[in-house]
Amino acid sequence: MSDTRRNASESENTNDEVVQRVTFKLDNETYGINVMQVQEILRYTEIAPVPGAPVYVMGIINLRGNVVTVIDTRARFGMESAELTDNTRIVIIEAETQVIGILVDSVAEVVYLKSSEIDVAPNVGNDESAKYIQGVSNRDGELLILVDLNKLLSDVEWDELKQF
Amino acid sequence: MSKSLAASKQLMQTYLSELLTEEEVAQKSLLVKEKQSKPLEKLLLSATFPQLAEQGTAEKLSSTKAQNKSLVKEQAVTNTVTKPTTKLRQAKIEPEVNERTRIENPAQVAQSELTTRKSQGGFEPIKQRSYRQGDFQAMFFDVAGLTIAVPLIELGGIINHDKTTPLMGKPDWFKGVMLNRDNKVNVVDTARWVMPEKCDPTLLSTLNYQYIIMLSDSSWGLTAENLIDTVTLKQDQVKWLDAPSKRPWLAGLVKNRMCALLDVKSLIQLLEQGANAKNN
Repeated sequence: MSDTRRNASESENTNDEVVQRVTFKLDNETYGINVMQVQEILRYTEIAPVPGAPVYVMGIINLRGNVVTVIDTRARFGMESAELTDNTRIVIIEAETQVIGILVDSVAEVVYLKSSEIDVAPNVGNDESAKYIQGVSNRDGELLILVDLNKLLSDVEWDELKQF
Repeated sequence: MSKSLAASKQLMQTYLSELLTEEEVAQKSLLVKEKQSKPLEKLLLSATFPQLAEQGTAEKLSSTKAQNKSLVKEQAVTNTVTKPTTKLRQAKIEPEVNERTRIENPAQVAQSELTTRKSQGGFEPIKQRSYRQGDFQAMFFDVAGLTIAVPLIELGGIINHDKTTPLMGKPDWFKGVMLNRDNKVNVVDTARWVMPEKCDPTLLSTLNYQYIIMLSDSSWGLTAENLIDTVTLKQDQVKWLDAPSKRPWLAGLVKNRMCALLDVKSLIQLLEQGANAKNN
């Protein structure tokens, strides 16, 4: 291999960053979030509702003495609510310098994804929830929808959460 | 079963009648414009007098007098009345006449409307399509009782309908992303895209999508219930919609089958813009 070719392939490899993603299920679809933003994954515990809280807030939980706000992910993604099962989990994430929990149907696995394996989702639809999608990727014949956790809430909503 | 077939046929007929009436509507609007422009033309004709007066050509006036005796008396009267105030009247009328001639030239208005409608969306005229010369092959498929034709030259492929992954926040006509040989296909719910107003829960429950019709070399695919056949069409077998229309995705109507012929390039453009058949 010539030097120029080797350099080109090396730079390609460095640009093709590998990111680990935690995958979870919602309504039989698989979603992926950056593992670096995941702090821990909890079994479902009782979520205490907060009077006057925004609609996207399910309530709060006590996590080793800290109050963590839990977001209704299904509602946020425009899905109908589902019954809680043994597989229901609360994923504690850090986004926009805040720690929050997101309720998911189940957590699947941790996958390694190259940047080159991620495709941009078609830019159609003006719905708010369309902006949460970072891209889509083919994993063993199944599509993985990558979620941008920082965009899960708007700036105003992140500010609102700070007050909890 | 027979009821649903009858309902589908009725639905298709209604839809096609709507497609066919579009041109009539356009023609009507042109007729209305013509009618509207007629009184304006009259006004313009009547407004030409001050222009003539402005020129102050006695010779021209006398020549008209010679041509039409009935006008002689009137003009003689007006001339006698207007003579002392000609300059004042000229000053008042002149701008009015200019404005009207500038705005109300019907040919110009029609021309400007015709050129802007389609060019606004950046759609290429159908006349420039390769299948607009000589015979061409088209494939027919149906969706919810509606038959649609697509020129074979613009057909990217046909694949079996498989599991689609819906994406949140997308319009309801966007069925989702489907994997086909490691390629991602953006699947369009054709019924919802073409005739959203007719997609009630009853109709949607009867839909049985089996195929995806890939559009040219794009990643967009239209869902189809059945593939009918492929035929070679002559140019005169299609009622071409070369004039700009509200439906840039419609290249024309196949006369003997009374069905829509898709303009694939414009359709792809519309899909990329996130528009459906009704809100483009």
